Amino acid sequence: MVAITTTTAPPARASALTRFRRRRGAMIGLYVYLTVVAAFSLLPLLLAWMTAFKDRAQVVSNPYGFPNPPVMDNLQEAWTSGRFSRYFMSSVIISVISVLAMVVIAPLAGYGLARMRFWGREVVIGGLLIGLTIPVTAIILPLYTVMRELHLLNTYASVVITHVALGAPFFAFIMRAFFLRLPSALEDAARVDGCSELRLFWSVMLPLVRPGVLTVALLEFLWTWNNLILPLVFLTSENVRTLPIGMLLLTGRFATDYGLLSAAVLILSFPVVVLFLIFQRNFVEGLASGSVKG
Amino acid sequence: MARTATRAQALTHQQRVRRRHLLRRRTLIAYAFLAPALILYVMFVVRPTFQLFGMSFYTWNGVSPTRDFVALDNFTRLFADPLFWKSLRNNLVFVVLLVAFNVTVGLITASALARATRGRLLYQLVFFLPVVQASIVTALVWKWIYQPDGLLNRLMEDVGLGFLTRGWLGDPNTALPALALAAAWSGFGLSVVIFLAGIQGIDHTLYDAAKVDGANVRQMFFNVTAPQLRPVVTVVFLLEMIGAFQTFDIIWATTRGGPVSATEVLATYMFKRSFTEAQFGYGAAVAVTLMIIVLTAALISLVIRERNED
Repeated sequence: MVAITTTTAPPARASALTRFRRRRGAMIGLYVYLTVVAAFSLLPLLLAWMTAFKDRAQVVSNPYGFPNPPVMDNLQEAWTSGRFSRYFMSSVIISVISVLAMVVIAPLAGYGLARMRFWGREVVIGGLLIGLTIPVTAIILPLYTVMRELHLLNTYASVVITHVALGAPFFAFIMRAFFLRLPSALEDAARVDGCSELRLFWSVMLPLVRPGVLTVALLEFLWTWNNLILPLVFLTSENVRTLPIGMLLLTGRFATDYGLLSAAVLILSFPVVVLFLIFQRNFVEGLASGSVKG
Repeated sequence: MARTATRAQALTHQQRVRRRHLLRRRTLIAYAFLAPALILYVMFVVRPTFQLFGMSFYTWNGVSPTRDFVALDNFTRLFADPLFWKSLRNNLVFVVLLVAFNVTVGLITASALARATRGRLLYQLVFFLPVVQASIVTALVWKWIYQPDGLLNRLMEDVGLGFLTRGWLGDPNTALPALALAAAWSGFGLSVVIFLAGIQGIDHTLYDAAKVDGANVRQMFFNVTAPQLRPVVTVVFLLEMIGAFQTFDIIWATTRGGPVSATEVLATYMFKRSFTEAQFGYGAAVAVTLMIIVLTAALISLVIRERNED
């Protein structure tokens, strides 16, 4: 590139210079645009996270600056008198049990769908594909009556079971995609050695799709942790409420206590943001795979 | 030709028995693997779906042991209910605004990101942060931004647009678009990522060819990027639409459908009718229409995706 510009005639060199200038101008414009969009994405969150560390006087006098000095009063108040320690525990229990259930169920189903030929396979796949799009808001009514008949209202089990059942098709397809990538020579070799189906799955195939299992665990955690409608309908008594429900109640009672509400935002989003920063790739690829080919 | 055919037939007699045996064994094993997922799915997704359709043919307060069969009465009432039509209209406006924002801004941002030489991962990380936030967090943060003394009004005063300030969620004219923007904020990072993957999948020789022909950046976007991305755009479009139609959380946590049902959508209307007013049959009828709309959109997206793969 450099060699060409130095050996060409003066007019061409001038055009190379303007081209360079224009390209630099375009690059600056590009980064200005990207930074504006990044501010749109980040500032609302940053504002809430910063407000969590401001006392009442600071919220009024310095609403958009950094907390000076940062105080922990809001977090403490939310955690104790706001009962967020309790909501936090409920959320942890529901999310952890859902994740554990899902990392067992999804690989089993995904393996069956990916590596086995069996009677009714197309029907099962078609049925699960429809399940990907059944809106939970539409079936929340019958789910409520089912849970009431089973006497599971106000138990963690109602939320866990529904989460796992609703997520099963999506995560089965994610695991199926991971299992489909493995070469079939693996199974043939294992079968020749007289390996049983369960052993083949457990000792040969499952270790090869660990990234998939991690993705399933992270996304199931994200969805159960953040979910609002299931605990809103199933969990109405105080001692089983989750964090999002606690926050919903807080917004009703203390609509203008920005410091306290921000502390609630921070408590709710902190675990998810930490996990996201560590496992960015799994989150991005897993969520995008729901929309591109599964 | 004839000889191979007879040999094949001769072999199949024994083989067919063995193969059928094998298939039956494999089917049993496969369903053993699928059983936990399928049982939960059938019991807590498929069965409630059918129950929902059943419920919509009854009037029921949700608690009493008896319910009255009224056939399609709920639906005839529904189609004469101005609030239902308003919810449907609001839902459509919400969907159009949300999808328009995320597809256009998402596409432009993704193509800018594809041309950026450094910091691509950092920008992607920032755009994606709102995606992993709980809907209640999105709702709360944007509620503050839209308050009469909130960030948006403050910014508008700073740039000399003070005459436009208002309580954005309290004004029936602005509440719905304001909430659509908040919802777009929480979903837009995902569409950027999907579009970026699509752009990076485009054959580079197409751009080289366009460059040789003297195309500028804009021409390359409209003549190479846009047509090559059409399948991805379609998929994002339909997925955003399916998601936006089910919107409940962000509205329930901010306006609850108000002011004067300016932000009422199908999901919030269903929720109010069923759980606050104890009209389970009527609520079920609303839910059925929501379900039919979403499933139709999903079916279209499946057909298009299948076609793209060929």
